[in-house]
Amino acid sequence: MIRKRKSLSVVIVLAVLTLVISACGGNAANNNSAANSNKGSNVTNTGTANSGDASTDASAPKDGGNLIVAVGADPDVLNPIYAGDRVSLTIDQALYAPLFQINNGKKTYYLAESLTPSADNLTYTLKLKSGLTWHDGQPLTADDVVFTFDKILDKNQNSFFRDYLVFGDKQVQVTKVDDLTVEFKLPQVNPAFEATLVQLTPIPKHVFENETDIQKSTKNAAPVGSGPFKFKEYKTGEYVTLERFDNYFEGKPHLDSITYRVAKDTNAANLALQNGEINVKYLDPQDVSTIEGTGKFDILPYAEGRLSYLAFNENSDINVLKKKEVRQAIGYALNRDEVIQAAYASADYADPAHSILTPDTLYHTNDVPTYDNDVAKAKELLQSAGVSNLKLRFIVTSGNKVQEAISLYVQQKLKDIGIDVELQSLDASAFGAKAYDPKATDFDLFVGGYIMGSDPDAYSVLFTTNGLYNSFHYGNAEADGLWKQGSTEADTTKRGDVYKKIQEIIAGDAAIYPIGYTKTIVAFDKQFGGVDEAVLKPVVIFEDPSKLYLK
Amino acid sequence: MRQLIARRLLQTIPMLFFVSIVCFAMIKMAPGDPVLNFVTPSMHADDIERVRHNLGLDQPAYVQYFHWLKECLTGNLGYSLVNHKPVLGQILERLPATAGLVGISIALAVLLAIPLGLLAGAYRNRWVDKLVNLLAYIGISIPLFWLGILFMYFFALKLGLLPSMGMRTIGKDSALDMIKHGILPCSVLTISFLSSYVRYIRSSTIGQLKEDYVQIQYAFGSNQTAILFRHVTKHVLLPVITLLGLSMAELVAGAIVTETVFTWPGIGSLTVTAAKGMDYPIIMGVTLFSSLMLMLGNLAADLLYSVADPRIKQTR
Repeated sequence: MIRKRKSLSVVIVLAVLTLVISACGGNAANNNSAANSNKGSNVTNTGTANSGDASTDASAPKDGGNLIVAVGADPDVLNPIYAGDRVSLTIDQALYAPLFQINNGKKTYYLAESLTPSADNLTYTLKLKSGLTWHDGQPLTADDVVFTFDKILDKNQNSFFRDYLVFGDKQVQVTKVDDLTVEFKLPQVNPAFEATLVQLTPIPKHVFENETDIQKSTKNAAPVGSGPFKFKEYKTGEYVTLERFDNYFEGKPHLDSITYRVAKDTNAANLALQNGEINVKYLDPQDVSTIEGTGKFDILPYAEGRLSYLAFNENSDINVLKKKEVRQAIGYALNRDEVIQAAYASADYADPAHSILTPDTLYHTNDVPTYDNDVAKAKELLQSAGVSNLKLRFIVTSGNKVQEAISLYVQQKLKDIGIDVELQSLDASAFGAKAYDPKATDFDLFVGGYIMGSDPDAYSVLFTTNGLYNSFHYGNAEADGLWKQGSTEADTTKRGDVYKKIQEIIAGDAAIYPIGYTKTIVAFDKQFGGVDEAVLKPVVIFEDPSKLYLK
Repeated sequence: MRQLIARRLLQTIPMLFFVSIVCFAMIKMAPGDPVLNFVTPSMHADDIERVRHNLGLDQPAYVQYFHWLKECLTGNLGYSLVNHKPVLGQILERLPATAGLVGISIALAVLLAIPLGLLAGAYRNRWVDKLVNLLAYIGISIPLFWLGILFMYFFALKLGLLPSMGMRTIGKDSALDMIKHGILPCSVLTISFLSSYVRYIRSSTIGQLKEDYVQIQYAFGSNQTAILFRHVTKHVLLPVITLLGLSMAELVAGAIVTETVFTWPGIGSLTVTAAKGMDYPIIMGVTLFSSLMLMLGNLAADLLYSVADPRIKQTR
């Protein structure tokens, strides 16, 4: 819990599959779902003999059952145009159907039947499935989609998605063609537009059209969605229960209901999990063996599309981290496998990272320069850079086990190359304020993490000179030009080359020391099945909860 | 008397005003930025400024304070910066859970503390006293979250007697179910209150036993039990009034640790969430509310005091 709590305050909010900059160590990373299911099966096979395998469907799914999912806090607001916190996003995933989702570059259509870009890539035509309805029985049409985008673009509505639809001072134009067709006209070519649409989920026009401030609307207390489960009750501070929506367009869901139960304390929640009061819960690596030992749960580690990294503050007043040789030397002094072991207890929970792009991001390649595990080289680089008696200040969020473990490891290893590291423990909000303050010069190192989603353009705010979230204060003119080029390049081959080059340049400059593509670990009650069909997904746990069932 | 009450009530106004200034200043001085709750990496700097402006957070702190104060005087405590629901509604929604949990725990603690404290005080340095003292020390030094987890482990997981967390079984709305869920958090809280109350009552008993009226009773040949329960108890109860008055604040401020460990949906867990998100309207609301309760509790205690002990005269 401590860790989740920290991320909440440090985080600059997340939008699923997209953008999280979190200063702390959650767990996550990447891999594809095939790897997950293998993992799940292995665990199942070594578990009790009579319980079936989660990934086989030898027995037909039964209907009925209530699944209880642990969440770390109350949802902020159950309205997808405002949901930025993990809990709201998780619940919204069952409550509101998305237009479509993208997994490993492949689209799965939900509300949408098709999405067709024009030849010049400036117009996208979205076709909705016919016969869609909201949970209250009203038809879901192009009017709802247009309404949703109008509200997102409305400056008075404070939806942070607005920026996804604005380029310079020009907005995306959204028009209704007929009841099932919507046209999006872009002011400029934007290859990331499909990734944007994944996150923008329609809200019902007939519910919200007379509300002046949708964010504060009391209608959010009893949301009307379009997903497989409809809202039943919300007990503040306790739980949110959703029940089966029989008219769901993908077919009636198997489960009777899903309850999202608030469990603020990790230790207490683990006890409740073992006690059968919770069926699904995130686990920290150090708790895995206890929960696995009960034999009642499948342990499912899966990639969260997150990179955990060691950051260098190039603005620091000691003025040597600007030299790339010094950053490279620090990399050489460390052993990536050991860092992962120290931070995540096992290589199972993070894959070694070289690139700034996570493997679920388009054009990712891990085949880039990396500085790793060569103390002699490190000393040599420091000497040639004319740096000696270096003292570095490493800021750490107090109580964050991952950050603490990494900082201690780094402190010990850098001693070998003659660098003294001083650890400075800060509470979560002080840490966030400092690490992401563009003007802070009084520290040198910190551990951070980000989830930026499937399109590489999203990463530009982190690495372009003076980028809004460039807390490393890194800059490279050549890379800046390439970022710009990549954001509007429609030709996929050329675009791929651009981002490959960017990954190489930034890795070569050692702008950050990428540690691992971390994984989320979820405990899933063996009484339930359907995990593979439901697809494990970063942040929201299940992409399509309608596929889950009681065995 | 009536005049006294009126004056004390009037005094709470400048006090609350002062508390609100200090609280606001402390929030503003703390690191962190509530606008970060609204921001994603895709946002442009001017859009972040737009949100900041829409929320009024771009103005100097004193302007923000006066704006808050103005709204507050009209009965509007504002909206949460995290979930955008009205502050007052959220506090009132969670008040019953907290008042129930803390109220029952305090009542139990007082009922248990009086006999234990009297015994310990009367048999000073004998085994009863040593045992009570030991337990009180343990109760004070044990971290509540640890005790909570320990209770959960034994009574919920190992023995299967009680649910581990929450205030009710999902979808159930019965008093019995709520009582079952309340037993563990209530026990933990009772132990923590009890431990400090016992020591208070014990030392008060020791003091009373030295008083002349007790010596006279001894001289008259009354037996110890009679002296203790008929005479000393009355006097010992006086400081309990003060204790209760001070506890009024906790009745609304909630028991932060216990509520968090047991996911009890009270004001304590609301406060923790608010503090993490720099949600200052909520923090201000809870602080004001509990300060007010503390002052009213003190007033009530003082009034009761003068009723219970005519020696203490309230001066005008």
